[in-house]
Amino acid sequence: MDYLLHILVVALVYTVFALSLNLELGYTGLYNFGHVAFFGIGAYASALLSLAGFPVAFSMTAGMIMAGAAGALLAVPALRLSGDYFGVATLAFAEMIRLFFLNERWLTKGPMGLPGIPRPLGIPSGVSGLPLYFLLSALVAAAVFLFTCRIARSPFGRALKVVREDEYVAQALGKNVFSLKVQIVAVGSLIAGLAGALYGHYITYISPSDFTLNETILVLLCVVLGGRGTQWGPVVGAFLIIFFQEFIRFLPIPVDFGRVVAPIQGMVYGAVLVFLMLKHPEGIIPEYRI
Amino acid sequence: MLRVEKITKRFGGLEAVCDVSLDLKRTPITGLVGPNGSGKTTLFHIITGFYHIDKGRTFFNDKEISGFPPHVISRMGLVRTFQQTRVLPFLSTRENLLCAVPTQKGEQLASLFFRPGTVKREEKQNRARADEVLALIRLAPLADELSGQLSFGQQKLLELGRILMAQPKLILLDEPTAGINPALIRQLVAVLRKLTRQGIQVFLIEHNMPLVAEICDKVFVMDSGTLIFSGPPADAIRDPDVIEAYLGKIDHAS
Amino acid sequence: MLDYYAQLVVNGIVAGAVYALFAVGLTLIYGVFRFINFAHGELIAWGAYLTLMFSGFLPFGLAVVPALFLTILLGIGQERYIYRSLRQRSRITLLIASIGLSYLLRNALRLIWGSDLVSFGFETRRGMSFAGLIVTRTQLLMVAAALLFLAFLYMLLNFTMLGKSLRAAADNTELAEIMGIDMKKVGLSVWILSALFAGVGGILIGIDTNLEPVMGLINLLKAFAAVLLGGAGNVWGALLGGLCIGIAENLGVAFFSPGYKDAVSFALIILLLLFRPTGLFGLIGGIR
Repeated sequence: MDYLLHILVVALVYTVFALSLNLELGYTGLYNFGHVAFFGIGAYASALLSLAGFPVAFSMTAGMIMAGAAGALLAVPALRLSGDYFGVATLAFAEMIRLFFLNERWLTKGPMGLPGIPRPLGIPSGVSGLPLYFLLSALVAAAVFLFTCRIARSPFGRALKVVREDEYVAQALGKNVFSLKVQIVAVGSLIAGLAGALYGHYITYISPSDFTLNETILVLLCVVLGGRGTQWGPVVGAFLIIFFQEFIRFLPIPVDFGRVVAPIQGMVYGAVLVFLMLKHPEGIIPEYRI
Repeated sequence: MLRVEKITKRFGGLEAVCDVSLDLKRTPITGLVGPNGSGKTTLFHIITGFYHIDKGRTFFNDKEISGFPPHVISRMGLVRTFQQTRVLPFLSTRENLLCAVPTQKGEQLASLFFRPGTVKREEKQNRARADEVLALIRLAPLADELSGQLSFGQQKLLELGRILMAQPKLILLDEPTAGINPALIRQLVAVLRKLTRQGIQVFLIEHNMPLVAEICDKVFVMDSGTLIFSGPPADAIRDPDVIEAYLGKIDHAS
Repeated sequence: MLDYYAQLVVNGIVAGAVYALFAVGLTLIYGVFRFINFAHGELIAWGAYLTLMFSGFLPFGLAVVPALFLTILLGIGQERYIYRSLRQRSRITLLIASIGLSYLLRNALRLIWGSDLVSFGFETRRGMSFAGLIVTRTQLLMVAAALLFLAFLYMLLNFTMLGKSLRAAADNTELAEIMGIDMKKVGLSVWILSALFAGVGGILIGIDTNLEPVMGLINLLKAFAAVLLGGAGNVWGALLGGLCIGIAENLGVAFFSPGYKDAVSFALIILLLLFRPTGLFGLIGGIR
């Protein structure tokens, strides 16, 4: 039961994370391959603040806002670039952030990481706090879902899709494409930061190795597998991927083979991405039926 | 309402538009004709802000718009279509129209959450307008179809409808009748005439000379980037420079 | 003091020569196909690791041959089975597939050889002294090999029909096809060259430093920085870009923590993209 709750919490965290990427990638067509950077900023900022004595709710909010601000700051210059280049720029940015977490030991304790992150609302750390944290995560995920729904189904969401489909038409129709893109990256980064903070306070111990390209691939997979540009797609994708990921750990695997689990999973993820793009690019829940 | 002064545009070594000046004044329908590659579409791109101006200035309603970004120009009421149909294939016909309303409160993030009532009201108004336009362009039965499923001619009409949603003051049409059948052309002409009765000006690039002669009050002729004629269409057809530019390739549309 | 900086520059030139190889491969693909192959980094890594494998039972000099051959096959395979079908689809599909492929290949490496650092096992020899600077035989080898391959490329591009077809295709793919240039052949050659250079570069880097599965990603980003610096599609720009990156990285160590050495390229990427996306010697399209 505990293990099921654990998987559910992680799945809910990734639901929030995937919904945020979906805003940028799914609706607006922005190839943000560095999304994990904002997940990490949210996690680290919130952890550091709460370890310094601030109330957790405040820390999480502050972490969110810092992630959003970082996103806006990166977005303003980076969005002047065309798609491919934006993808690489965000990738480079994410790697820089990871190096920052790794090297600035005075702040982040470097590779040692930050242990003992407190849970919010007095939820106990450790297994006893699981049911409450599950509830919290479910509430946050539901709120984020409703928030992103509101955006998706609004004229704003419609404008984002126009930007995605044809930037020239968007401009000809009077949309300020640059402004729309910056706004959605700021919002997407904000929510990614929330997911990161939610994650950090759950795991109670974070280190730079939690925020690598692996996590970017994972969340990308959630969005792409589930169905980008839809609301339920990222949710379905997150649950599928996380269940697969965590379930493997549950299987009794002899110690000798322990080290091959992660690479094999990685190969599966990579292969699924390639396969999806070749055969089924819309994912499980297609955005439109032709 | 639209005036351009000495517009020049270079691409590498090629001068696509050279020292072109024109003034639409209050002419209801103006044509822009010329052989392929004479710089007509380039001029449109410059006027609407999609191309950077190398030299010259552009004015709309006596206000200078040189160097303004396309979306700003569009919101001022100077609206355009493109040479290839650019409907948004994965949005429905109605959604294509709804996107085209320039200033929507619902497109502002803050309003979505703090002014939901206003957003809802505006959306309702826009939907009503969209229905009117759908009726005008006779696409009402296909309102919920993905616009990518429409025929070529229907897409052209949709593009026109999209422009109407923007409540334009001046419409720039780039080869609106290319590739569509005569019946649809008549429909298009009817819509255009209706628009001019409402005070909307039309400036169109066309290769269909008989059509130009029929509906345009004035025509500008370009060749190799320069303006070689301006005046009534009937005179244009007889002008020696114009004839030479086409070298006997005057296009009688099928 | 000057000696210290000069030494760093020398180290930088050596590293830069290898980065030039990576960058040239990446920019060739971009020049003809107009997309960034995210899996390019894995060609670098696989070149190195395959050599490691073959050198288990072949002398090192011979081991590189089958290793490079297989790396080239890998490059061709990427094109044949994945990229070719995706090129007509949307941009994002191609990019995601490319990232997915690179992740697949990287993890395959981890599966076979583990995540720890491994090395070719060359003993480090004392360097030779030249005018107050120390240069090791390894470093000389790296520069020599890089120069050799780059000279080969120069001759290919300028003196052979294939090279001229390549340049024509990069300039204007449709026109090239109409003019009768065999695009299939050109495409194949570009992938062979790209994979070859990546593999060779990977081996050289492996000789100098250790091998680890993540070397593909890091070197991809460095290659990309060099490509950007020189102008996407500009082969000689990529070369110069690689040198600049190498020098900047090594000089940079004098000013900030070595942990950030790799970050030099990342920062350069971001700065370049922001302020000069066409690069220092930028050209729009074509291979020069």
